[in-house]
Amino acid sequence: MIRAHRRLAAAVVLCVGTAIVLTGCSGGGSNAGGGKTLVVDNSFDLKTSDPARAFELTGSIVDHALYETALTFKGGDVTKPVPGIMSYKESSDDKTLTLTMNGKHYFSNGDPVTVDDVVFSLKRVQGIAGNPSFLLDGVTVTKKDDKTIVLTSASANPALPSILPNPSLGIVDAKALKKHGGSTTKSDSAESYLNKTSLGSGPYMLQSYNVNTKVVFAPNPHYAGPKPAYGKVVLENVAGPTQKINVQAGSSQVALDLNADQVKGLSGGKTRVIKGASPYLIYLWFNQDAAYSGGVTDKPDFLTAIRRGIDYSKILSLAGEGATQPGGLVPSQFLGSIKADATDSHDTAAAKAALARSGYAGQTVTFSYPNDITVDGIQMETFAQALQAQWKAIGINVSLSPSPIATFLDAYRGGKLQSGIMYWGPDYPDPSDYLVFNPGEDLGLRAGWKAGADPTVTAAEHKAAAALGDDRAGAYADWQRAQNASGPFVPLVQPGQYVVTSSNITSLQLNPVWTVDLAAIK
Amino acid sequence: MSTDAAAGPGGRRTLRAPAWKRRRRPLLPQQWRRPMAIVGIVVIVFWLVIAVLAPLVAPYDPLAQEFARLAPPSAAHWFGTDVLGRDVLSRTLYGSRISLPLSLILVLASMVIGSVVGAIAGYFGRVVDEVIMRIADLVFAFPTIILAMIVAASLGPSLLNAVIALLVVSWPSYARVMRSLVLSARGQEYVVAGRLLGAGTVRSLGRDILPNVAAPVLVLATLDFGNAILLLSGLSFLGLGAVPPTPEWGAMVSDGVQQFSSWWLAAFPGLAIFTVVVAFNFVGDALRDALDPRTAEAVSEVSV
Repeated sequence: MIRAHRRLAAAVVLCVGTAIVLTGCSGGGSNAGGGKTLVVDNSFDLKTSDPARAFELTGSIVDHALYETALTFKGGDVTKPVPGIMSYKESSDDKTLTLTMNGKHYFSNGDPVTVDDVVFSLKRVQGIAGNPSFLLDGVTVTKKDDKTIVLTSASANPALPSILPNPSLGIVDAKALKKHGGSTTKSDSAESYLNKTSLGSGPYMLQSYNVNTKVVFAPNPHYAGPKPAYGKVVLENVAGPTQKINVQAGSSQVALDLNADQVKGLSGGKTRVIKGASPYLIYLWFNQDAAYSGGVTDKPDFLTAIRRGIDYSKILSLAGEGATQPGGLVPSQFLGSIKADATDSHDTAAAKAALARSGYAGQTVTFSYPNDITVDGIQMETFAQALQAQWKAIGINVSLSPSPIATFLDAYRGGKLQSGIMYWGPDYPDPSDYLVFNPGEDLGLRAGWKAGADPTVTAAEHKAAAALGDDRAGAYADWQRAQNASGPFVPLVQPGQYVVTSSNITSLQLNPVWTVDLAAIK
Repeated sequence: MSTDAAAGPGGRRTLRAPAWKRRRRPLLPQQWRRPMAIVGIVVIVFWLVIAVLAPLVAPYDPLAQEFARLAPPSAAHWFGTDVLGRDVLSRTLYGSRISLPLSLILVLASMVIGSVVGAIAGYFGRVVDEVIMRIADLVFAFPTIILAMIVAASLGPSLLNAVIALLVVSWPSYARVMRSLVLSARGQEYVVAGRLLGAGTVRSLGRDILPNVAAPVLVLATLDFGNAILLLSGLSFLGLGAVPPTPEWGAMVSDGVQQFSSWWLAAFPGLAIFTVVVAFNFVGDALRDALDPRTAEAVSEVSV
């Protein structure tokens, strides 16, 4: 018995000892071997780390750390692309983009980055026809000489410089990848290789990769930029509530997926909260197709009543600190965004007057929303219930119709829903990504807004699409104002985005394209 | 378990009661005096009163979003407020007006449907029996809540659809019990005698068989009550039952899970579900022992 007890005690001591050592290694960014370790918690939507195939949020974080892009953004500012591997020059008609090599860059295996690598990487994205290939739709990539590449588009493509920083357009080592099945056609088979070995010139290289649990990064010894602050980065897959516990306990230094209510009480002491506006836009739509409008939602005065009947201050309080009311459909961080004005302010008297003009006679409006997804930790259901109560106050009867996202999307894409709430995440940080919200366009049709339904908005749309250079911001602002005046879309809220870090992290910037730059965390 | 003291006054009255009354009185009163049964009845009566008087008892309108959001329990809001600034106490009280009547409807409907189908299967036997019972087996082959989810999801979320979905999955247990009871009863001499006297199917089933087999089914129904409430709340929890902003317990618990740092959101409606379900189970157990001690074992073996 005594011996057994001793053994037990020894085992306990051993376990506790191991635990203390392990905690010491993982926690607090302590020194372990060749440099500090950074642990970042993220709720994974990772599918692959092959840049030409990845188009998920986690994939963007991973690929941005592994691969440099032709152009990039500085910090969180996505209004102006800056040179990355290459610098750029746009032709006056925005149809030709000339990229020139910008200094020397090296892949993690020591190979220098050449123009051929850039051409191969971009063509590979197009050739594979995976999720991100639409980014380069209609773009022809040609090598001009050993320093220059020309990207030509059939029609004006002013958004192209803002598209090129996307981590999916990361530059891979063509020579090395070709040895492992890499090609610029659909027959490319290099994905599994890239999930083991990264072939990029980014600040980090892949040390280990597990799509379900964690991705470990080691510094790229040949990286051309400033040496990253951490010698090892672990991006681990952790659910929201656990992220909170981890960052509080110090076993991780960064938690990326906490919502406004979860971060309460985390600023100060051992943790710090960084707030930013999410690039997601939550909007409402009202069907303009007489077959689904119920004779209500296609009346301009009814839409005015809807807009004026929303108490935005209440909506913002539901969305949490850091949330903003967008003036138009373009999120606040992007070029051409506008501030909310009188057309989007709460005024019950004006709402009631407009409602009376619309001829609304108490019909019930069906308001649909997906009930199994959250956007930045917020449920659509919360907004839907608040809006229902606010519209009830001005005399509009709304019945809520929740459904799972798959069912919801079927009906919504078919343009069969009378009204509802949905969100839009940007594919690339340029206002042209939002032109789908127009009569006859993809999103417009979901709201039964057929081509030719609103000549004013269509005219503004054409003007915005054709605008070049510095005129773009103004033209997009005008287009959004035209939208607000008569369009069926009501921009509701841009939620806040939160990152909780341990207090020893001094610098972390949110970016709408790659969420967070692991190499820039200090 | 029943003590002399508890049986005392009732026993004296029984002695004094006229003979007809003495015979009519079943074992019930004595069995009701089990402490668990009393607790169960008290809780159920409490919730029934709340359900009837909710508009008078509730301090606020359950839909009013006028209070500070996510406020913890306080003197003004005993159960705190939810994410939209609604009073959780009022919503919990009003929730009884949804859960109790709907589970009653669900249990009664599945009892009637299941019993009729089961009686038909048991009485006619052969092909009819085979067909009906294989359909029942088919339903049993799926986990209850999963099958209910599929049905509810295909019908679209609403309380009515949730009841229909649960009806689809809950009738077979009644059919099975009823069938086995009818199967043994139909060969009894009094039934055969009735048939020889010219009684038709309906008369034979209704007059001769039903009164003799009803008790176990009633017990099963009582025990099923708690389960019905759980399943309905479960469907609402999954977003397939109550449509917001209806104050429904399951949906409220689901809201609370989204806000895990505000414990009061899920705790109180969860407690409401817990008390009602436990109370019905207590009563069901007591009823089973009282009405039908012999089949108690058989009933408890039926998986629901």
